[in-house]
Amino acid sequence: MRDTPLSNCERLFLLKAIEEKKRLDGRQTYDYRNIKITFGTDYGCCIVELGKTRVLCQVSCELVPPKDSRPTEGIMFFNLELSPMASPAFEPNRQSELLVLLNRQLERCLRNSKCIDTESLCVVSGEKVWQIRVDVHVLNHDGNLMDAASIAAISALSHFRRPDVAIQGQDVTVFSPEERDPIPLSIYHMPICVSFAFFLQGSYLLVDPCEREERVKDGLLVIAMNKHQEICSIQSSGGIMLLKDQVLRCSKIASVKVSEISELINKALENDRKIRKEGGKFGFAESMPKERITTLKRDKAPVEMTDVEETANDIVNRTETTTEVVPSPVLVATGTAQVGEGIVNSWGLDEDEEDEPLTEDRKTDEVMIISDSEEEEVVILNEEAQKSKKKK
Amino acid sequence: MKSARALCRCVQIRCVSMAVEMRLPALHKHVSITPSQSHRDDKHLVVPGDVITSDTGFMRGHGTYMDEERLTASVAGQVERVNKLICVKPLKTRYNGEVGDVVVGRITEVQQKRWKVETNSRLDSVLLLSSVNLPGGELRRRSTQDELAMRDYLQEGDLISAEVQSIFSDGALSLHTRSLKYGKLGQGVLVLVSPSLVKRQKTHFHNLPCGASVILGNNGYVWLYPTPEQQDEEAGGYYTSMEPVSRADREVISRLRNCLLALAAHKVLLYDTSVLYCYEASLPQQIKDILKPEVMEEIILETRQRLVEHEG
Repeated sequence: MRDTPLSNCERLFLLKAIEEKKRLDGRQTYDYRNIKITFGTDYGCCIVELGKTRVLCQVSCELVPPKDSRPTEGIMFFNLELSPMASPAFEPNRQSELLVLLNRQLERCLRNSKCIDTESLCVVSGEKVWQIRVDVHVLNHDGNLMDAASIAAISALSHFRRPDVAIQGQDVTVFSPEERDPIPLSIYHMPICVSFAFFLQGSYLLVDPCEREERVKDGLLVIAMNKHQEICSIQSSGGIMLLKDQVLRCSKIASVKVSEISELINKALENDRKIRKEGGKFGFAESMPKERITTLKRDKAPVEMTDVEETANDIVNRTETTTEVVPSPVLVATGTAQVGEGIVNSWGLDEDEEDEPLTEDRKTDEVMIISDSEEEEVVILNEEAQKSKKKK
Repeated sequence: MKSARALCRCVQIRCVSMAVEMRLPALHKHVSITPSQSHRDDKHLVVPGDVITSDTGFMRGHGTYMDEERLTASVAGQVERVNKLICVKPLKTRYNGEVGDVVVGRITEVQQKRWKVETNSRLDSVLLLSSVNLPGGELRRRSTQDELAMRDYLQEGDLISAEVQSIFSDGALSLHTRSLKYGKLGQGVLVLVSPSLVKRQKTHFHNLPCGASVILGNNGYVWLYPTPEQQDEEAGGYYTSMEPVSRADREVISRLRNCLLALAAHKVLLYDTSVLYCYEASLPQQIKDILKPEVMEEIILETRQRLVEHEG
């Protein structure tokens, strides 16, 4: 199904905003969205959230015979899939241009940069090697799939543990995770892609474009770099002419961003490792925030109690005896609900009131007038209940 | 007590730079008008998978399928029966075109001798070069020059109003703008609603007395625009005025837009009378307040009452 086309008004609005150095979500030109990396219970499973873009990566391994041209090296297999869950524009089993582009860039970033030591994946030379398979699934498309996919892939690879093997002559024993701890892959460096979108014939650039910005872009420049400031790959698409100093500037920005993101990945890996060692709960279920409205939650407010008795006696003496005693609690004015403590509404529409502490309000308030409703009578509790409330 | 008065469950907190409105949770009171009670009994509403009938004497129409000798619904909607034919009219669907419908669409592609128009249907509709009016209103065979000048008339992203001329065998619609009232649309506001909410009427172009005009496209695209002063169209659907629209006109159009969204949210059938009544009911409110749920409910209630009185 094709995506609804962007209207002219929206396109002009976006371009005009970019000209004035403004972005839809209020970011600066070189700002990334919030990156959140979570790991699953299995080793090698990772979800990366770049703003609203969500990408899942799963790493798995298998023993296979090696390629004839390279009998002593393991095999890396990359696969990126655009699921229809991500966007109505993605159709299942449809080889679109975007898919091919993303796949090739991911391969170029991770395979050609030789970030994984493939020689260490060899078990029996010429016969059995490990094939590491990296599957990236796009769960939600809100722009900049390439960056999210590369972060997810390298995080999952760093998180992954392969089973331990022992070779005795011709026998190869693969130990299960219960018998022997699985060992991590040997990763030399972490290449991360940073995308730059160009607008209005290359005059304006934005880092980490969101989906709307991607629709109006003229061209894209993707730089894959690691934190040691080594460029692993550069790709420019869209057919725009870029000046030399523009590319150099982008590479400088990329090095800053890559070092930040690498730190984030290392921190996430460290957290996960710590939690697993301590035996705490880990996995996707734990990392989801529990979204509950706590209706019974009440904030504690301090109440000044030094002269409570005198004030209470004062007030009690001043009141008239009530004719009826109703067991039910005070009826607040129609329309007010309980927020926080309830009953006494200390919000005021005057400016000073916001700073007034709750305690003063309580003291100066007369017990009778709780709501300024226009009802004839306000039913209140009996005095004992009031006093006990004050003592609280 | 201080002046902290809570008005109909709405509290205003003045923050540092702007006023924030908060609505506290409250129980919703559902008010329904009694005349519609009898209506509700007549409607046979189904969801996908519901068995409509086990009688094999009926022919199955759109939105149904045979599941082990039982006629089952495949979409969520209302069952319609015409003699022996049973079909289900869905509530939410893509636009299914009929010959003679007025649609508002957006040009997505410019191809050889035709334009592809997006009309919220399953396939993009087609507007052939031979189905548009040439400038000056002349009738002649389209030459290669006309083909090359196609982009000067309609480009990608332009909005047009057109009529469905015929339906291709695969279900794609063929449109035409052969009348002076159809053509490229200029300044205005587009509102997207579900196609099932637009009532089929004799005319879909209305000049509302409140000061704006509306085109209720059958495909769910509703176009609001300021009423043009002079009605003579020598240009024939080509000329789109780019003069600035006055503030009063813009306010009317904004109010109408919010009213349309309110009507669509409450699934009220859209036609000129209902839109007008809703506009009049919303006049005491501020334009931006119309989108608040409780205000929306009030306005729609009033509109429904007036419509029921109007109908008899």
